[in-house]
Amino acid sequence: MSHPSELISAYLDGELHDSESSQLVDHLAGCGRCSAELGEMQRVRSAVRSLPVLELPVGIVPEADPVVVPLRRHKGMWAGVAAAVVAAVIAIAAIVTPEPGSLTIEEMNSRFGARASLDPAFGPAKVVVPPLVGE
Amino acid sequence: MRRLIALVALLTVVPGGVAFGAELDELLSESQAASYSAEQIISCSTPDGERDALVRIEQVGDELRVTSSVSDDVEVISGSGEWTLTRGEEQVVHANVDSGEATAEDLYTVEELGAVEYLGRASMAYLLIREGEPRAELVIDEETGAVVEAVTLTIGNEVYCERRFVSLDTDPPEITEPTAAAGETPPTLIETSTLPEEVGGFELLDQYVDEDGVRFAYYSDGFFSFAVFETPTAVALPGAELVELASGPYSRIFTAGQVTYVWETLDYGVALVGDLPPDMHEAVLAEMPHPQDRGLFRRWWRALFG
Repeated sequence: MSHPSELISAYLDGELHDSESSQLVDHLAGCGRCSAELGEMQRVRSAVRSLPVLELPVGIVPEADPVVVPLRRHKGMWAGVAAAVVAAVIAIAAIVTPEPGSLTIEEMNSRFGARASLDPAFGPAKVVVPPLVGE
Repeated sequence: MRRLIALVALLTVVPGGVAFGAELDELLSESQAASYSAEQIISCSTPDGERDALVRIEQVGDELRVTSSVSDDVEVISGSGEWTLTRGEEQVVHANVDSGEATAEDLYTVEELGAVEYLGRASMAYLLIREGEPRAELVIDEETGAVVEAVTLTIGNEVYCERRFVSLDTDPPEITEPTAAAGETPPTLIETSTLPEEVGGFELLDQYVDEDGVRFAYYSDGFFSFAVFETPTAVALPGAELVELASGPYSRIFTAGQVTYVWETLDYGVALVGDLPPDMHEAVLAEMPHPQDRGLFRRWWRALFG
């Protein structure tokens, strides 16, 4: 067995099986380095445990109602959300995007009026009124 | 400034015939040569309600300047194939037809109703009859030749629109030529069309396509006329009424003396603009491409990509 630092830590935590503990104890007996390491770990743990416990002042951590978080995962949920987002983007774009080249009533009046002015009947009897004015 | 548009009339699809009966042709030619200033009231009874306007007219030769008496900053100058709308100093929209003066076959006969006095002046009244039905009454000032009153009728002698001069000044006005729009791209003639060559007595006289792919077709029966637009995109018609006719649903707006219908087919946005009386609308629209519902996805697609 080489120098098993992980096993020493687990040994101090009581996490080794009996057979593992026996092997480690045998090793520690013949290995000065690992024995020293074990001693050092024990001192640190004792020092930490001897630190005083401080109470946090009231108000630093706000009280919160317990929230029940379901552990079940809805596999289709994210696909639905993504589809909804895409649909919303398309709908908004369709509303916001101006239609290219769309004719206005003024442009139509203009073209109709220009051509009608070549007719023999053109005149006051066929006045094209400026749109939306005076009506 | 709005996009400026030029149109060039290039061809008559239907061979041009004799325009009018000699008498009406003569009367209208004289009217177009008149010079005067006048105020005109336009009052129309439409299926969507009354539409009225008060405009000031100045005519010199075949140039006609129309300004609103309510808002003086709006002005239209038209004649000789041009039409320009300005607001204040800004030219809002302009169209130009360089050539092509196709006229419709004569559908009208003229009946002289007799001498009348209009605005204290000697005038003559005439009745225009189309296929046996009175369609318009004209009162023409004898000195100037100006059409001082024009009443258009629906079938059954119901008044559609009355246009009456309420003042007439025979001093020749000055009309400033509108500034030609820069950067205009001439449209391209199209020789074939899915539109009918004749509908309800109206002949298809000219049709063009412009740089935006908008197709324009002009119909006339010799007195009334309308234009049909086919566009790659939808046509904007804010404030329109939705009407359901036998051929489908349409958006419609009446102004004083003019009607505009807008609808969509699977391939085009379509509009009809004209001065034809309401009783002719259904018959004409029935022969045009009918409204078709594109569905939500097609609308989105067209809104996004044209």
